[in-house]
Order: sequence, then C-alpha cells, then structure tokens
Amino acid sequence: MIKAIFYKEWIKIRRFYPVCAVIVLGFTLFSVFRVDRVADFRGVEHIWEVLLEKDSVLIEMLQYLPLLCGILLAIVQFVPEMIQKRLKLTLHLPFPQNRMILLMLLAGAVALLLLFSIQIIIIYSYFRHILVSELTSRILLTSAPWFIAGMTAYFCTAWICLEPTWKWRIAEVLTATGLCRIYFLSQLPQAYDGMLIWLLTITAFTLMTPLLSIWRFRQGCQD
Amino acid sequence: MTENVIECRSLTHYYGERLIYENLSFDVPKGRILGLLGKNGTGKTTTINILSGYLQPKSGQCLVFGEDMRSISPQTRARIALLIEGHVQYAFMTIGQIEKFYSAFFPKWDRDAYYGLMEKLKVAPGQKISRMSCGQRSQVALGLILAQNADLLVLDDFSMGLDPGYRRLFVEYLRDYAKAESKTIFLTSHIIQDMEKLVDDCIIMDYGKILIQMPVDKLLDSFMKYTFKCPSGDISALDAADTDKEVHHPSITRGQAEMYSFLPEERVLAMLDKAGIAYNGFEKTRMNLEDAFIGLTGKY
Repeated sequence: MIKAIFYKEWIKIRRFYPVCAVIVLGFTLFSVFRVDRVADFRGVEHIWEVLLEKDSVLIEMLQYLPLLCGILLAIVQFVPEMIQKRLKLTLHLPFPQNRMILLMLLAGAVALLLLFSIQIIIIYSYFRHILVSELTSRILLTSAPWFIAGMTAYFCTAWICLEPTWKWRIAEVLTATGLCRIYFLSQLPQAYDGMLIWLLTITAFTLMTPLLSIWRFRQGCQD
Repeated sequence: MTENVIECRSLTHYYGERLIYENLSFDVPKGRILGLLGKNGTGKTTTINILSGYLQPKSGQCLVFGEDMRSISPQTRARIALLIEGHVQYAFMTIGQIEKFYSAFFPKWDRDAYYGLMEKLKVAPGQKISRMSCGQRSQVALGLILAQNADLLVLDDFSMGLDPGYRRLFVEYLRDYAKAESKTIFLTSHIIQDMEKLVDDCIIMDYGKILIQMPVDKLLDSFMKYTFKCPSGDISALDAADTDKEVHHPSITRGQAEMYSFLPEERVLAMLDKAGIAYNGFEKTRMNLEDAFIGLTGKY
C-alpha cells in the first residue's frame, strides 16, 4: 500500500519534478560559474576579499529558489487532491488517514531534499576547491535557512491546499507568510547560526499542519 | 432477524442556522438496494457525507457494519465502495495506472471485473481519465467499484451528467452485479426513472424529514393518484375533512381535481362526501415511481 501511495505521488509530480530539477540545478550551476568567471578574471583573492569584507556569500540569487520549489511542489501534489474533493477518495482508502497524508508529505519532502542535497553538493564541491573550509562553511550556513524555508513552505502550502474553506485558507496564507518571513529576516551571512535548531523546530511544527486541514475536512467544514 | 448494514439513528444536522433534518433514522438491510430520493436541498448528499465519514452530524449516530462512521477502521472501509457525486476519480491517472493504484489497497480486488468493463468502452489502458467523456468516466468509476468487491456500495447521484445510454448501462450492470453477488447498495439519484429499475426499497425525503421508507413495489401498489371532475371548482373543504392529512397535495386546475393517497378508493370517496365536495368521473391510477415521488413531495 505504501508503494501505491508513493506511486500516486510520483504520477502527480513526474512532469513537474524534472523541469523543476533542471531549473534549480541550472540556477545553481549558473551562480557557481558566475563566481568561477570572476575568480578567473580577478583571481581567487578577490572572492576571498568579497566574502570577508562585504556581507555577501556570492550565491544570493539562490535565496528564494528552495522556497519557490517547496510552494510549487505542494501545489502540484495537493491541488489535484482538492479538485472535485478527490481527497474523499484518498481518505476512503483502507489505510490510516493521517498516516496516508504523512506519507504523501514524505514523498514530496524526500523529492525536495534530493533537489536541495544536489544543490548543496554542487555548492560545496566548487567552493571547497577555492576557499578554506571556514569560508565554505560560511556560505553553507548562510544558505541553510533558505533550504529549511523551502521545506517549511512546502508543508505550509500543503496545509493551505488541503484546507476546505476559503476563510481559513486566507488566514493560513497569512500565517504561513509570517512563518516563512522568519527565515529571511536578516541578509547578513551566518545571521541564523545559533537559531538553526529553532528554524528546524518551526519546520517540524508545520509538518503537522496539513493534518489540521484533514481533520477539518473530515468534520465537514466547507464554504 | 434482518441484519442491517447501515443504521442511522436520530441524525440532526444544520448548515449554520438552516436545519437540514432532525431526528432522522433509517436502516439499510443486508442484500437490499435502497434509493434515497428527495428534491434538491433536502439533505441527500449530506446523508451520504455523514455515511461516508466526511461530515459530523450535530447529533445522532451512523453505524456501518456496526462501526461508527466517525471512527471507522480501515478494514471496514475496505468493505465499502464509494462513488462520489459526478463520478469523481483521479483524472490525472490513466486507465491502467488507476487500476494498479487501487488494486494495492483491496484484498479482494477483481482485476477482470474492471478490465471487462473497460473492454466494453473500447478504451486503451494508456488513456488518461481526464480526456474521457463524462459517460466513459462513469464507467471507469463503476469498474473500480465493482473490482473492489465491496460488501456495501454507496453511490451519490450516480446518474449525474450521463446520457440515457450510459445511465441504462450503469443501472443494468449494477443491478445484475448486486443481485448476483448479494451486495448491499445505498444510492441517491436525481433521475427517478432509473431508480425504479434499480432499487428494491426507497426512502423519500422532504425538507427536514423522511416521508416514507418502504419497498418500491409496496409503494406503487398502495400509493394512488385520484382524479375527478369537480363542477364547483373548489376542494378547499377537503382540508377540514382530512384531519389526519392522509391525502397528499390535493389540487384543482380548470375543474379537474387531483390528489394522492395511501387510502383505498372507498375511503377517499367517503372523505369527499364528508367534505360535501360534488364530483364525477372519479378515477384511481397506479403510478410509476416518479409520479409517486411527486405525489408525496409536491411539484414545488
């Protein structure tokens, strides 16, 4: 049954996911090549200088990409469930309902993690060749909240998509916007170093929010 | 003793301030096909939603196979096939994908039942459901329900959007299947002609209550239409004579009166005499289910 649940999720995302992967990897490679070109023209010393003296980690163009991926993936996965209230079909299957939703979320979360992992590997692989480990860590730690925001946005969008009423959906959009904003409050490198655990806690909390929508759906809440 | 597959007890539900029904109770015996009939807005889909666990009634309880629908186990859900209004299915899947998906969940899955019906439609396994006509989609939904081999089938407005050919195909296929396999079916439909060919028993609902629950044959044998010419053009005196409200929806148009009742002819005639209504050309007519439905619920 679990295999069948993943099979359905794969059918929903199978066109979107490769396109999304190509765009994400394209942007990631582009940002790395851009740094590489600067390093070629002005020397690696210039890269060091920028990293140490300016508040930049050179890959800022990737900042909102995980967020966008998370939102779009959740839409692709969960909007088809709500069209014509198809969620009734899903919840009627002989499988524990909350576990079913969590497995659907797990499928999406694994797909996102895979994308983010490849991005991180590309960034790490390139920068470790031209920078000392402290500066590579600085780039990765600065970008960590962006990736965590991507996961949070994914769970929040699933929560919003599965919500059966527009009134609550609007309130949830506002709440989710507020939550995601937390991850982008500071543009300074490593500003979130001591807070990553709290950001992950917020993500873990948002993982449970789609279950609230499911509970409301089962109560018969509707517009 | 008759075993009931569905037992609904004292259901009361409101949408906001609007009462849908109060203290609604009914049973669906095992092996019977029961049709829930009612005008728009009388609570048919609400009842189906409560029955399938997607709506919490304000009060009352619905048991299916002895389990409360609000906390029904996955094992019991496997015994219930659900057809959602409009033959909703995972339209993003193909004929083959949807069969592969569902078959993993149902231990008694009958692949041949599904593909047998798909062969009749002459659709290929690779065809996407979203690109099919409404009629074809209804047959996909029916095929999936039959393949589940469930003990109870709950069908919400199964005839919606279907042309007469597909409606007939759906009804005949379903009836043969239910009778051959001793399945219990609880269904609603707007098209009452179809119900007559399909259901054993019917529940007729009016706003807020159940008017009758009985076998269709018994209803059609006992509920009659009475017509007569009334020279005075006025039958309002009938209201005072019919203190038990046993005559339904009496009306008169250009001197031609009509009324509906479970009472035998003699009792109706006695009632007219008691009310002092002059009449001639009195006739009793046996009705079909649609006319009986109109007789009970009225035209408006």
